[in-house]
Amino acid sequence: MNEFRTLAFLSKFKRLFTRAGIDYQAMETILRMKLTMDGRRTPTIFNAQKKKEGNQFLKSLWIYGLYGLMIIPFMLFGEGPYIFQMSIAFGITMFILTTTMVSDFSSVLLDVRDKTVLQTKPVSSRTINTAKIIHILIYMFFITGAFIAIPLVVGLFSNGVLFTFVFFAALVLTMLFIVVFTSLMYFAVLRFFDGERLKDIINYVQIILSVGVIIGYQIVIRAFNFADLELTYAFSWWHVFLPPMWFGAAFELLLNQDFSNVMILLSVLALLVPIISIFIYIQLMPSFERNMDKLMSESKSRKRSGWLMDFWGKVCCRNREERMFFRFASLMMKQERNFKLKVYPSLGFAFIFPFIFIFTELQMRTLADISTGSMFLLIYFGNMMIPTIVYMFQFSDNHKGSWLFKASPIQQPAAAYSGTLKAFLVKLYMPVFLLLSIAFIAIFSWRILPDLFAVLLGAVLQTLLTYKWINAGSFPFTSSFEFAQSEGSAKMVIISLAAGIFVVAHLIANAVTGGIYIYIILLLILIFMGWRAILPVIGHPAPH
Amino acid sequence: MDIGAKVLSLRNVTMKYGTKTVLNGVNLEVERGQIIGYIGPNGAGKSTTVKIMLGLIQDYKGQVEIFGQDIASGDPSYKKRIGYVPEQAELYDNLTAMEYLSFTGELYGLDRKFAEEKAQKLMEEFELGHVMHSRISSFSKGMKQKVLIISSLLHNPDLLFFDEPLSGLDANSMMVIREMLAQLAAQGKTIFYSSHIMDIVEKISNRIVLLVNGAVIADGSFEELQERNEEGSLSDIFNQLTGFTDHASRAERFISIVEGGIADE
Repeated sequence: MNEFRTLAFLSKFKRLFTRAGIDYQAMETILRMKLTMDGRRTPTIFNAQKKKEGNQFLKSLWIYGLYGLMIIPFMLFGEGPYIFQMSIAFGITMFILTTTMVSDFSSVLLDVRDKTVLQTKPVSSRTINTAKIIHILIYMFFITGAFIAIPLVVGLFSNGVLFTFVFFAALVLTMLFIVVFTSLMYFAVLRFFDGERLKDIINYVQIILSVGVIIGYQIVIRAFNFADLELTYAFSWWHVFLPPMWFGAAFELLLNQDFSNVMILLSVLALLVPIISIFIYIQLMPSFERNMDKLMSESKSRKRSGWLMDFWGKVCCRNREERMFFRFASLMMKQERNFKLKVYPSLGFAFIFPFIFIFTELQMRTLADISTGSMFLLIYFGNMMIPTIVYMFQFSDNHKGSWLFKASPIQQPAAAYSGTLKAFLVKLYMPVFLLLSIAFIAIFSWRILPDLFAVLLGAVLQTLLTYKWINAGSFPFTSSFEFAQSEGSAKMVIISLAAGIFVVAHLIANAVTGGIYIYIILLLILIFMGWRAILPVIGHPAPH
Repeated sequence: MDIGAKVLSLRNVTMKYGTKTVLNGVNLEVERGQIIGYIGPNGAGKSTTVKIMLGLIQDYKGQVEIFGQDIASGDPSYKKRIGYVPEQAELYDNLTAMEYLSFTGELYGLDRKFAEEKAQKLMEEFELGHVMHSRISSFSKGMKQKVLIISSLLHNPDLLFFDEPLSGLDANSMMVIREMLAQLAAQGKTIFYSSHIMDIVEKISNRIVLLVNGAVIADGSFEELQERNEEGSLSDIFNQLTGFTDHASRAERFISIVEGGIADE
């Protein structure tokens, strides 16, 4: 095992821990084991990369440094009341820290192995729990450090020493607050729901993090434009429930000497809530441990009716085998968390990007102006996600379960992918496309209806071609995600750009009067013939 | 099919992984209604044999016939009459038990409604009724094992491959399975049973096949093996035939290492 500088630093506080009744030696051993294991884990923010040597965490810190740049503008807007800029700055900080905490450190907080490995050993539970919290705090310290280092230096030069000092103190409180608050949130979820539900929640937070960071970045860039507004602060009662406001108020109180009751109230909250929540946490720790058992026990039964799935299966699929895989793929898409983590962010981008470009355009033109042109072709950005997702159908965390496909008497293996691709189009692509279409029809009027239809057909054809070109093996969900990025990435870039071919074809079609209808017919023929050639599924296989 | 009909036959089956020979000319004929205890030390090639017969491994040498059909012909229909419980509880465990079972039932050609009803009844018999619609990932080892056993039987197969099927099950469930196997065999089903637990193999099998280093070195009923080897239990026969006789001295050395070294403080 390695020696860790962090532990060497921590040992300076040995006396403090010993006085609090903690077996320092044992705690250090636990932490060393934990840090070694962490060196073998990949953070979510890096999920696009394959496993590599070394502590991926430390190597990922620069990304947080980059995110940190986002809050610099808010510190520089000088003269206005601090409560606005600093509330936004702390809002961003808290968003990044909380989502990171949930997505990357939930496994630390909820490690059920701790119970069997650690609690069976002669170590007090106080020591174990302290080790857990220190473990997380070490990382939060690094992340916060990386996130805030540059803004802090900028603040020192632009806003002075006192500002930096308040900033630093507020950050420490924020960090404690987030670690404890997240734990308490888990506690609440586990108290009322079961472990599976908690895992779902964590999964969705991970997805939100991936999408939120990109979108947040886009928004902040645009925020420059309306940042010069002169605002005066008016208190509303619900500000009490916005933690970033507490910290913003503290700046107002200490730096602008605004000693109004409201500022004092909010600042006191900033100081007291983190401290109080730590005490609550310590009190609740034992019952938290007890509720953790739920993570290991079976979850509650929830039966879902699948009539919608059955309906679509009947409409889209040619035979029983294909329908069966349609159902199976639908369930996998909905229920495999790792798959969702890799695919749902792409869906989010597919939905958001067309709008981001429209908004960019709006800064130069009016909506009425835009709605007459060919800007609706931006909807093709929604089709760019297709290759990434189709590629992902090869993988599953449960790929070992795929012996089933070989051991069972499947007559037409092509039905497997045929059903899966149809499930993708119906279950993942269509909802996004329909929402986009509604918004686009609202902007561009009904005249674009044939165009939208052509876009949809283009998506179907692109799905089929992507499968043909990049998917290996005859059954979906049969390889480990570990292989997901090692191959096919160059092909992937090319095939993502292939969406451009459809745009060009569409533009050509629109240059001729009525050309769009010829284009639609052409696409229909290509889909019809292509699907039969690539994934031949006979209507009625030999009866069983 | 009449009693005594051949269900499967392996002729000179050889399998190599690279340069390593896993199966070295296995010959085996199995008739209807037999329960075969397929035993052997770790790495002897038991799972490989089963995987070949299921079509999970294709690049073997020799001939494998199941229900009189050469499986190399590529027609998967013969699998409809086979049920399989793999050694490791490997399944798509992000699905619920019911979803998984109706899916496997459909894969074997059952109507979904029918498969679901049957699965529900079987799960209730196995005390899984209350977790039917929970994700399998939240199940214990024994519960997963029960799901796998149900999935192997849902389509009422004629030939069963059970690879360590009792692992993780409690004593009561084990009794149910043992009784079930006996009754299935009485109805003419053929069961291919691999396990390391010799006591159970001894009790349930009516024929024992011992595989060592990729070849069959003993084949017969327990009584026949007993006569030939003059040993008491199957466990003893296993030790003798695999040439493992120094267990006592190994244990002794092990204990002496445990007790030696640093003394208690």
